[in-house]
Amino acid sequence: MADQPRTLMTLTINGQVVQAAKGTMLVDAAAAVGIEIPIFCYEPRLGAPIGACRMCLVEVEGMRGLQTACSTPVAPDMVVSTDSEVAAEAQDGVLELLLANHPLDCPVCDKGGECPLQDRTFRFGPGETRTLEPKMHFPKPLDLSPLVALDRERCIACFRCVRFSQDVAEDGHLTFQERGDHIEIATASGDPYEGRFTGNTIDLCPVGALTSNPYRFVSRPWEITNTPSVCAGCAMGCNIEITTRDNEVKRLTGRPEPNMAVEEGWICDRGRWGYPALRGDDRLPGAVLVDGVGRRSVPLERALGVAADMLIPHEARVGILLGEVVTVETGFLAMELGDRVGAAPAMVRRMGIPGDGLGLMRALPGAQMDDLDHADLVLVLGGDPCSQQPVAELRIRKARRRGVPVVVVGPRPTALDASCEVVRTAPGQMTDAVVAIREHLDGTRRAIVLWDEADLAAEPGAAEEIARAMAVTEGARAIEMCADVSGPGLRALGISADADLLEAIEAGGIDVLVTISADPTAGPAGDRWAAALDGVGTIIEMASYRSGLTDRAALVLPLLTPLEEEGVLVSMAGRAQRLRPGAREAAGAAAAWEVLIGITHRLGRPVPDRTPAQAFARLAARHAPFAGMDYGTLDREGAVIAAAVATPDPRRPEAGGEGLVIVPCTPVFGDATAHRSDALASVREPTHVGLAPVEAQRLGVRTDSRVRITTPHGEAVLPLRVDSRLHEGAAYLVMGDPAVRAMHLLPVDRGPVRANVTAVAREDVVT
Amino acid sequence: MTADEIEEYLAPMRHEYADPRSLILPALRYAQGEAGWLPPASMSAVAEATGFTEAYVESVASFYDRCYLEPVGRRVLNVCVTLSCMLRGSDEIFDHIADYLGLDGEGTTGDGMFTLQRVQCIGACDRAPCLQVDSGEQVGPLEPADATCLIDDLRDLPAPERYER
Amino acid sequence: MPEFHVVYRHREYGRPLTTLAEYTRVGGFLGLRDAIAMSSDDVLYAFHRSGLRGRGGAGFPMGRKASFLPKNTGKPTYVVCNADESEPGTFKDREIIEQNPFQLIEGIAIAAHAVGCERAYIYIRGEYEAQATVLDAALAETREAGHLGPDALGEGRPFDITLYRGSGAYICGEETALLESLEGKRGQPRLKPPFPAVAGLYGCPTLINNVETLAALPPIMHRGPDWYAALGPEKSPGTKVFSVSGHVLRPGNYEVVLGRTTLRELIVDMAGGLRPGRQVKAVWPGGSSVPVIGAGSLDVPLDYESLEGVGTFLGSGGCIVMDDTGCIVRACHRLAQFYRHESCGKCTPCREGTGWLENILGRMVEGRGRGDDDIRMLEGLFGRISGRTLCALADGAVMPVQSALELFRDEFVRVAHEGSPRPAPMTEAPVG
Ligand SMILES: Cc1cc2nc3c(=O)[nH]c(=O)nc-3n(C[C@H](O)[C@H](O)[C@H](O)COP(=O)(O)O)c2cc1C
Ligand code: SF4
Ligand code: FES
Repeated sequence: MADQPRTLMTLTINGQVVQAAKGTMLVDAAAAVGIEIPIFCYEPRLGAPIGACRMCLVEVEGMRGLQTACSTPVAPDMVVSTDSEVAAEAQDGVLELLLANHPLDCPVCDKGGECPLQDRTFRFGPGETRTLEPKMHFPKPLDLSPLVALDRERCIACFRCVRFSQDVAEDGHLTFQERGDHIEIATASGDPYEGRFTGNTIDLCPVGALTSNPYRFVSRPWEITNTPSVCAGCAMGCNIEITTRDNEVKRLTGRPEPNMAVEEGWICDRGRWGYPALRGDDRLPGAVLVDGVGRRSVPLERALGVAADMLIPHEARVGILLGEVVTVETGFLAMELGDRVGAAPAMVRRMGIPGDGLGLMRALPGAQMDDLDHADLVLVLGGDPCSQQPVAELRIRKARRRGVPVVVVGPRPTALDASCEVVRTAPGQMTDAVVAIREHLDGTRRAIVLWDEADLAAEPGAAEEIARAMAVTEGARAIEMCADVSGPGLRALGISADADLLEAIEAGGIDVLVTISADPTAGPAGDRWAAALDGVGTIIEMASYRSGLTDRAALVLPLLTPLEEEGVLVSMAGRAQRLRPGAREAAGAAAAWEVLIGITHRLGRPVPDRTPAQAFARLAARHAPFAGMDYGTLDREGAVIAAAVATPDPRRPEAGGEGLVIVPCTPVFGDATAHRSDALASVREPTHVGLAPVEAQRLGVRTDSRVRITTPHGEAVLPLRVDSRLHEGAAYLVMGDPAVRAMHLLPVDRGPVRANVTAVAREDVVT
Repeated sequence: MTADEIEEYLAPMRHEYADPRSLILPALRYAQGEAGWLPPASMSAVAEATGFTEAYVESVASFYDRCYLEPVGRRVLNVCVTLSCMLRGSDEIFDHIADYLGLDGEGTTGDGMFTLQRVQCIGACDRAPCLQVDSGEQVGPLEPADATCLIDDLRDLPAPERYER
Repeated sequence: MPEFHVVYRHREYGRPLTTLAEYTRVGGFLGLRDAIAMSSDDVLYAFHRSGLRGRGGAGFPMGRKASFLPKNTGKPTYVVCNADESEPGTFKDREIIEQNPFQLIEGIAIAAHAVGCERAYIYIRGEYEAQATVLDAALAETREAGHLGPDALGEGRPFDITLYRGSGAYICGEETALLESLEGKRGQPRLKPPFPAVAGLYGCPTLINNVETLAALPPIMHRGPDWYAALGPEKSPGTKVFSVSGHVLRPGNYEVVLGRTTLRELIVDMAGGLRPGRQVKAVWPGGSSVPVIGAGSLDVPLDYESLEGVGTFLGSGGCIVMDDTGCIVRACHRLAQFYRHESCGKCTPCREGTGWLENILGRMVEGRGRGDDDIRMLEGLFGRISGRTLCALADGAVMPVQSALELFRDEFVRVAHEGSPRPAPMTEAPVG
């Protein structure tokens, strides 16, 4: 890393000798040795300290008056007192003034019990509040948005939420209005505060001024348990905390002790408010068996036996298909199961992008998200991190605020465009930008390239050229923006994509198909899959939610979701991190690892593992990328798996034929969870087609018209949005709603494809 | 006022500032010149012309006393009531004007002609007690009768082409 | 000592110098000419030698401040003239702008030459619309004459000045709040350090000075820093304008040599004294933010050190006089209203404390006081505010009240118990 050597300084805090690196603020130096200096406004993740709340006043020998510990850097031989009479009186005084206009409504406040203001009042505060003045009154809580409530009386004007909106998310929508003691948090003329990251303001608020509407009055702090885990909403791998009560997930928040190498404590609103999906109507409550007797519920224990029976005939040829969000333990145990059934080892495949042509990119030296903090160039190649891996956007913005050039290359408009350099390419023509990319890389020493798996997979030619340019650029490193959450982990286990499984099924080579959180009929080439599955004798579906397979399966085994199960997910930057179960909301369901282990027992060929930890240890011993890891080493911040070795790859053909090139988009705010969670109703993105105005004009359609979109793989009728930022010659296919099929329009390898788009009905045509 | 008009006004001064954010206040003052206050439409126009969010523009405007986010009268009568003026009778002048206009303290007359408000020191303590109409010349020292005359004169004037507040 | 005009050159000539021709005729732009002939380091040294101190309030040596600006940072350097003049009782800059605007422009150009600046800003309070109009015209005329523009500071050395109007906020006189406001933000002060000299406007090195400070530069450069340094005492050389207001018969601005005139002379001889039979009760000699002093201190010479010697500050030179008809608690309450209204709201002690202060004083004046409890509460509150805030506004809110309570304790106690009826105001028209 290009950091300067850390100069250590020795100082004294409350008589204790402390060493701290140059530039460390007194609060942090004190905290490192267990001395708490109370703070409210200080939050280094928001930028340089602002010294506004004055809570952290301490005495420093030789300095006139009191100093704010949040903004005073350590200096050699400094003598600091945080608890002297003068300092204590000052802290007490500031608290008294903070409380002067704070309604003491802790008993009814959602923050009560986990409120920094409450805690600090107990620890550092006044014995009594002397104010006799009537406090400021505002009409009671205001909905800042359907998700965030604001109680203005409780606000202590610490600036945290406003700085988050202005300086971190850079959305500019949450501000202070008025001044002096009239100051209040507001949006423009009462518009809702909506965005991709609004919930972080709730985590930041040190009082109960900003609270989560879905969590309002749901539980009290002493009734809940908090479990650290990882969000499975996208491949970013943000660390989260799951709040549980009565075996239900009640809340998700950013991790109070963030993973600075990943999300830095921020999470997106989709991650935060997706949990109501767990209780969605389409959640599978228990096992279902279809046999001669009919269709009926069976206890899970029984169902495992039935599954084993279905897999036992040794001549059966078995396929196992893993979905986009499964843990590495599930992948590993699926392979173990595959080895124990059938005539030959089962075909274990994952739904996802084959990765042809990406070998060189994947073999480049990898980086972590915090490397963006030291980069001298950030290149975003394809994709749209803002909508597909949202928290990556925050880290990219942070780099840009440091003054680092950020260049966004690709066919999609992104939320970064307004503040970064943009190289817009025609869909499928990223090759055209290679010269520009080389120029940007030239002379850099710490460039970080974030590249989109799906876009570059569709253009392996460009990927290769870019990889070569990076390989000769000193210090350049890459982060893959994966389309699938399971992708990096399953690839590291050597599990390849599913195209050949489909071919095998079509050739009649599969008798039993096991799907694990995978519904191929809703995926790429879904129609082809649907037809092929007619030829499969037995389908065993393991899933958390009803799917297009549920009615065709002979056996349905209900699974827990990532918020409920234990296991390891590998993030797009290759970081293996632990999921820890928050709750088990579906009483009849089990974790995939439990189900898989159970079946091997019923088969009479048990795996030795009883826990996912054991399964992980065994997989780490067998699979080089995980060498040396176990749950212990992953405990706090996870660990980075070894990078892939470059392999020569077959190339893919270009999109031939006529029509508009499809640009597939899978925004997390448009995914299945976003559509299942009613909390996200106001911000979810519907499945639709986006067209540039010229294309819309050509077709005579406008926003909200319904269009028929046809590819060699299928057909769908979707609503249209006309957007002037889109490229002509392309149809931007935004998908994810489980109720609307659209993914099936793509080929099974998600390669390039063209579509014919037409107006559906008369009334959709503009005359 | 449209965003285009504001942009046209800002164009010649853009080069004077390293950051376009600096244009927000000039834009707000200019936009306020049209109606004498900043209706939401003007606020959006300023936001559009300067490239910042409406929330941000509103937050800036609401910080400053002389940006009006609510409608005010055709003329704003600013009576300074800070110490030097108080010592020389500003409270009496204020009460007198309020009486004369039929107002109960600060506020706008029913005909929308005048808004009367107390303001903090306007840098004319040598003319105490003093008054400023919009952001015009500070007038004083005032006697109650002077104030009444001034108001009568203002009443006869047409609305200004541009408001300077 | 009579008045002595350095920044009020127009008074010397008996008429406003609002055209370039008039200003040039009385020696205008000779200081700039002389400065340009010198290296910027020599000009900085001249500032230093002159002993000129900031006239905006804090009295920081101008040459020292200018020498803090780092050189060759690769960033532009800015000069910002603080024409916010919002301190109650202060109206001295207004007269410079109205009647001697070119001297200010010339002073800014000299400072720009010294620190290597190509664009300066004058931040003028929004309420000075009439004054801004004069300045605008003066700037245009100066530009036309080539003193501003591509070759203003010599062949190929461009320099220009932008006039920026505030919009009603006292806090924007505080230098970092001013910079925020000039950057298009809410005028809320920044944490210091870094100081503006290092990271000021747009994060660049910035010299920020008051109107009067900058207007003193042309004579300093033309007549020499030693001439200026010889005026007045060693540590407080030069002249200072005092704005006298309140219960005096001839309120107005008076420019005097520091240390040579006493407060009594200023009030009585220059500002016309009080109404017959009235006595001085209280004086805030440096604007409303300084400790108040009583009749016993009237013989203090007007300079920084002497005023500190009697427990107050020279501040901005806004000298507010109250005679024995005034009620000190009422006066304090009025000032507390001012500070509450003007608190920006950024830091806790100021946002909450100024309001609390006003509430206590308010109920005392209105006869709803709680007697000694309120006095004790006041005393407790001072310490919870002063020295604990982000900027000096809150100190300015506390000092006049705290000093008044010390000086007029009996009256406070009485009002805390009995309230204070509105006294009859002074209605005499100013003389002369
Ligand atoms: C609350 C507050 C208000 C101020 N108002 C003004 C002002 O109106 N004009 C001014 O020149 N300085 C004002 N100052 C002082 C400035 O912060 C700064 O010290 C000054 O502009 C420096 O210029 P000088 O060194 O030439 O005095 C104020 C300071 C504070 C704390
Ligand atoms: S709402 Fe909360 S985070 Fe925002 S300023 Fe108020 S106290 Fe701080
Ligand atoms: S934490 Fe230091 S001032 Fe707020």
